Amino acid sequence: MFKSLRWRLQVWHAFVLLIVLTSFGAIVYDLQWKTRLQQIDAELNRITNSMLQRRPPGRSGNRRPRGRDEIRPGGESGTRSDQVTPAQPELANNDAASSRTIAPPDGFRPPGDRPPRMTPEKIVEEFEKLTHSDDDSQFFFMVIWDEKGEVHSSDTAPKIDNPQLKTESDGSPKRVIRERHGDQLYRELIFARKYDSGVRNYLIGQSLQNELAEHHQRGLLLIATGLVILAAGTLGGGWLSARAIRPITDMTAAAESISAQNLSQRINVKETDSELGNLANVLNKTFDRLQDAFERQQQFTADASHELRTPLSVIATHTELALSRSRTNEDYRAAIETCQRAAKRMKTLIDALLILARFESGAPSMKQDRLNLEPLVLDCVELVRPLATERGIEIESQTTACEVCGDWDRLSQVVTNLLSNAIRYNVDGGQVIVATRIDKESAVISVTDTGIGIAPDQLPHIFDRFYQVDKARSRAEGSCGLGLSICKTIVEAHGGTIAAISQPSVGTTIEVRLARASSTMPAERRHSGEENLVSSVSVS
Amino acid sequence: MRVLVVEDEPDVLRAVTMFLREEGYYVDSADNGEDGLYKGITWDYDAILLDVMLPKRDGWSVLTELRRQKKDTPVLMLTARDAVKDRVRGLDTGADDYLVKPFELTELVARVRALIRRSAGHAGPLIEIGNVSIDTASRTVTVDQQVVPLTAKEYCLLEFLAIHRGELVTRTKIYDHLFDECDSSLSNLVDVYVSNIRRKVGRDLITTRRGMGYIIEG
Repeated sequence: MFKSLRWRLQVWHAFVLLIVLTSFGAIVYDLQWKTRLQQIDAELNRITNSMLQRRPPGRSGNRRPRGRDEIRPGGESGTRSDQVTPAQPELANNDAASSRTIAPPDGFRPPGDRPPRMTPEKIVEEFEKLTHSDDDSQFFFMVIWDEKGEVHSSDTAPKIDNPQLKTESDGSPKRVIRERHGDQLYRELIFARKYDSGVRNYLIGQSLQNELAEHHQRGLLLIATGLVILAAGTLGGGWLSARAIRPITDMTAAAESISAQNLSQRINVKETDSELGNLANVLNKTFDRLQDAFERQQQFTADASHELRTPLSVIATHTELALSRSRTNEDYRAAIETCQRAAKRMKTLIDALLILARFESGAPSMKQDRLNLEPLVLDCVELVRPLATERGIEIESQTTACEVCGDWDRLSQVVTNLLSNAIRYNVDGGQVIVATRIDKESAVISVTDTGIGIAPDQLPHIFDRFYQVDKARSRAEGSCGLGLSICKTIVEAHGGTIAAISQPSVGTTIEVRLARASSTMPAERRHSGEENLVSSVSVS
Repeated sequence: MRVLVVEDEPDVLRAVTMFLREEGYYVDSADNGEDGLYKGITWDYDAILLDVMLPKRDGWSVLTELRRQKKDTPVLMLTARDAVKDRVRGLDTGADDYLVKPFELTELVARVRALIRRSAGHAGPLIEIGNVSIDTASRTVTVDQQVVPLTAKEYCLLEFLAIHRGELVTRTKIYDHLFDECDSSLSNLVDVYVSNIRRKVGRDLITTRRGMGYIIEG
């Protein structure tokens, strides 16, 4: 089951989905935290800026009612908008001065500048005001050091060591934001101020504890969402893969139900356009060919066994008859002669079947020699001449030299067969014309007789196995109905064709067409196996 | 008993014909379907042995035509095809039995005997009429457990009359079934055989119906 395509698809799908979801979740998680830190940093900066840009109490009094939100746009921009207010020209001056002193967001004071007007006490006061207006859970705290140590810290401030202030390359202190792991995680902004009494380090911090908890919660939510999506995705993937696989399952079931007893069943092709539809079509065509081959094989086996049974029943009945009671010597002799005839017939049949079976099994050991058809045909003519002379039939050869690639013995067998047929089904004193000629790229052997001919409706079947035009006559001649079939098999194994033209009571012409051997053709082209076939079998 | 053998293989035909004749049957033969059908329709045979693969007209077609013409002669199909499909087809077409080549002649004759007996309504091989008992399997006749020696012809006539017990068997029918085509029905051969049987088996067994024929009363 775990090896099944569906299962593997599902596992891979889940795996990929898991990776995608995990990386996506990790990125979201990280980005969220970074965004949150940026927000906190901005808040810290804003508080610092607001704190440092507070005017002395007398001037800033008119601002006090303002809520935090109204300050938010930031110290500099806020003051700048004030700057352009014509009613407050003095303020603009002040602001310009203060911004020169402390306004740069970096918060350092250029060396040699005059000291700020905001005292540490004022800063603390401003800080308290700013942060107290926050009623949410963000706990800001402030710690101030001078060179000697801590001078002030908020109630909520944790224990913090005197921070070593980092400085810019020119030696000025810079505003630093850091993350610190104390008993909790803190985000802290540190800056320094120089007073006449010395340098004060200011630290504004916020505990990240709540943020972290919140973030972890969001993380859990992400994981939960991810799991839900993974589950849904896997289920959906499973459904999809099941859907995708179903036609395959159907095809498997259909293919499985096809057996030797049930070859006519086919796969139901619903979607012929899809890949699976194509596959089903291809399979169906394969089954068609298989069925065809199987049926032909069955027919052949049935015919062959029928043909074998007949001489066998001759032997069985005649021996039984002869032995059923005592008989005369003549009777015994007749019975034995009958049996001998039947045995000969069986031998002929078995030899023919053997040849066909060898070709059928796909391993015909045929030579591919370059050979001339003219001497081959003349040899065969000499072989059958006694048969012809017996019946007063004249054989006329009209041969020309033509070269083909093939097996001498096999092609001789074909020609001998055709000649025997031409003599056998000829009229006494008739004529047989055997000719070889060159027709374009083909070498043609034709055998024409002046015999009884073949009726048009029987002509298409004469190359079929066990087909006999005149059964009684064929039997009398000792034929088994495989001769022309063997000729066809041999010719086709040579890549040639065989065809018959006939006119009843005028005669028949059988024409064998083989490819001419070209000058460049290698002598051994194919089927160059060992020569072990019965080459002298003459069947008809 | 008159039997028609339709078989195109001359050697097989010869052997079957000879064997059946030696067993006391009167055998006609045909080597193709057309002849077989003609003879089968024209004459009244006790059984027909029919090959399937025949020239001119195959065995199926001959059988179908015979049955269409209401000839219910028992038919034994002989064939080299032994596929179940073929056998079923043969029996469904109206054949009474089926024998696959190569067969043994003794089995063939036994099947022919059984066919003839069954078609006359006798399932078993023994026909008993009073104290006379005819065993069609061993072709013997006993009277009071005493075996009566009969010639083949006499036995055949007695068996024929016994099989058709209770019905009138005309002289023509006797000639048709028990004598070759060359024997003349005008001869008094039948009377000679009947009187021989009466002498050996018993006076009262066969009743003569003047001018019509003979009957064994059922």
